[in-house]
Amino acid sequence: MTETTTQDTDRSETAGASSDSQTRSQPGAGTESTPETWTDYEFEGEPKMAVSGLDVYYGDDQALDDISIEIPEKSVTALIGPSGCGKSTFLRCLNRMNDRIRGANVDGTVTFEGKNIYQEALDLVELRKRVGMVFQAPNPFPKSIRDNVAYGPRKHGKVRTDFLAKLTGRDDSEREDEIVERSLKQAALWDEVKDRLDDNALGLSGGQQQRLCIARCLAVDPEVILMDEPASALDPIATAKIEDLIEDLAEDYTVVIVTHNMQQAARISDQTAVFLTGGELVEYGDTDQVFEDPQSQRVEDYITGKFG
Amino acid sequence: MSYPTDSALVVDDTGTAERLASGVVGLGLVTFVFSLLGLTQIVTEETAILGVGLYDFLAVGLLLMGVATVGLGVGSRVGVFNTTPDATPGAVTAALFGLGGFVVAGLLASQLLGFGTLGWLAVASLIGGVTFVGVALAPEDIGSTLPPGLAAIVVGLLIVGGILTPAFAWEPEGFSATLTGSMAIPLALSVTSLVTMWAGAKAYEGYGSTGRQTAAYLLVGINAVAIIAVLVGLLLFIASKGVGPAFQGFSLVPFEWPFVTNGYSFRPEVINGVFPAIVGTIWLVIGAVITGVPIAVAAAVFLTEYAEQGRFVGAVEIATNGLWSTPSVVYGLFGYAFLVPRLGGSTSLLTGMLVLGFMLLPLCLITSREAIKAVPDEYRDASAALGVSQWETIKSVVLPAAMPGILTGVILGVGRIAGETAPILLVMAGGLRDDAPNVLGSFEFTSAPPFVANDALLQSAPALPYQLYATITAGVSAENATEFGWATAFILLLVVLSFYAIGIFSRLYFRRRLNS
Repeated sequence: MTETTTQDTDRSETAGASSDSQTRSQPGAGTESTPETWTDYEFEGEPKMAVSGLDVYYGDDQALDDISIEIPEKSVTALIGPSGCGKSTFLRCLNRMNDRIRGANVDGTVTFEGKNIYQEALDLVELRKRVGMVFQAPNPFPKSIRDNVAYGPRKHGKVRTDFLAKLTGRDDSEREDEIVERSLKQAALWDEVKDRLDDNALGLSGGQQQRLCIARCLAVDPEVILMDEPASALDPIATAKIEDLIEDLAEDYTVVIVTHNMQQAARISDQTAVFLTGGELVEYGDTDQVFEDPQSQRVEDYITGKFG
Repeated sequence: MSYPTDSALVVDDTGTAERLASGVVGLGLVTFVFSLLGLTQIVTEETAILGVGLYDFLAVGLLLMGVATVGLGVGSRVGVFNTTPDATPGAVTAALFGLGGFVVAGLLASQLLGFGTLGWLAVASLIGGVTFVGVALAPEDIGSTLPPGLAAIVVGLLIVGGILTPAFAWEPEGFSATLTGSMAIPLALSVTSLVTMWAGAKAYEGYGSTGRQTAAYLLVGINAVAIIAVLVGLLLFIASKGVGPAFQGFSLVPFEWPFVTNGYSFRPEVINGVFPAIVGTIWLVIGAVITGVPIAVAAAVFLTEYAEQGRFVGAVEIATNGLWSTPSVVYGLFGYAFLVPRLGGSTSLLTGMLVLGFMLLPLCLITSREAIKAVPDEYRDASAALGVSQWETIKSVVLPAAMPGILTGVILGVGRIAGETAPILLVMAGGLRDDAPNVLGSFEFTSAPPFVANDALLQSAPALPYQLYATITAGVSAENATEFGWATAFILLLVVLSFYAIGIFSRLYFRRRLNS
């Protein structure tokens, strides 16, 4: 298995799998053979992203074991589980950030709007523009607030404000200002920073920095936003702000969030996937159902705190 | 002796021991400073205070210090002073004191008592061994005060008693150097006062770990101050020799500074200057930076961001470190044998620039790599997650964040190459001249490839360090060659310092852009 690389994945299988009916169930290859997993989840509409048979290895260590999951559009999907269960690894598979980790080997298919993102012809830049990511620790660039938010649009050539653009009269400063304002408003940071857009972003508080990172991500107009424990480094007030923000974002974006905090998952998510040690996805379903009436004994133990 | 079972948490009484110990340290500092001045011949044995020779004064002070130190140790041992010594001063202290005992006893036996080789070896080994064993076995208060105290008493007595006088001279066999009394006295004074201060500082804190810490701070602090003093002394020395001739004929209104604005005209009625050499040095540095720094930064980016960390990178690293430690004259020889025949066949400004650029390359590569490695991976991840390509990320996030570190390397490198003489000697060698190299004005366009020509780059040009060497050592005919040399040295120092200033200000600028 370790020998198989992402390029070897059979694409026709995926194409067949994702051209099913409107309301679909995800059988998952292991459902019958290992009755401990309950990953059937039925929802209306096409899945925004679908994962099937995903294995990830770091060298010889298996981090994810045969994960299959479908993520509905414009909703919040929470990934919970104990440390080291592979939920961050799974998240990083969704925009291929695992490519940046030496020795990581991904096998299986991940589709974005029906297209396999682990194929050779994939444009990584385009994928990451449409599947944005917010990291665990706030990581603004050591630049001004404006430069941080406008970084993506500038680098993608959507706005041009350099000297040459000014000279040739194609200056997009106004458009850039609009994008910056819209993104910061969406990230609920505009009122706090509108008078000091040219200050260095490192001067903001931790919670503000994290919302700035969300604004930076929103500025490139993604469709899916991946969040890797975005509030774990923040205090309760900043966390509450981020949670409110995530709920608002779910109206326009597909949000996938990894969290350690089960109350947080219960509060903000529409569906929840529970990963347990060994990189297995044990249960996936409607959040209320997973938390109130889990079908797996292991998940019930985990949620009630009998097992970490 | 006292080993209190309940050591006081707050000690605020300044007792006899503290006063005595601070006296030792204060006296020691004075002795140390004056003996250093004596070593540099700023004060000599003829300097007198109130009719008494300076060294006699210092020696009496050292004697007092020794007695006080011994008193501090013994007082602590018999319980007069309230202290918290450890069981032993430690093996390192014992070994160093043993070595000190060996040297002092050996010198005394061979030089004063006239023992033969066997005799002084026996005495020295005996004293050294006894000191080592004694210190190692003694409790800390005795072990760390008695040897320095006794050494201070012995040295003080030798000087006061007129045995170690300025007339003393020691010619060690096999060496052609002579250690005269006027050097030996300040040397002995400085070493003994330093060690005694250490003991005094320990006694001040009542020994134990606080004592050792204070004593160590004292030594490290004196060391740092002494280094800065040496540096300042060096600068002042060059300035005192060079300012006079360099400012000859200087006037502010109308501005005239002949030494800096004139060339070397070989006419007696005009003040000769180093203008061509200043211009040559500045061009050299500019050329070297233009050749060396971009290649170094590009290589650092490749090695850090793109290359697989493996054998290749390791080999490049070893090669870079090797290049950095290659003697500059070897670079010069390479330029002479390889570049000169290919670039016009004669020594020229261009070959000088290239050779200095090669010298700049390894240091800039090493420091740029470290600076780029130090940029947090979070920045790269954040940029990649926004769908920005690796090269764009390097250009707009990694390099700006690494800029202050890269500039530090450039500053250090420029400091090295601006004063480099050996390669210049081989590849550029321009003598005393009246006219400066006119690099900008010499660009000419030609109809044949390479379409541009520059005569000034292909001619030899003067540079300050080489000119300094030429005027002082090689006896290039110049009137007042020594004064001219000192003035050149002073100007060279100013030029290098201004390069530093430019580098430091640009580093500050980039750092501020990152942080405010």
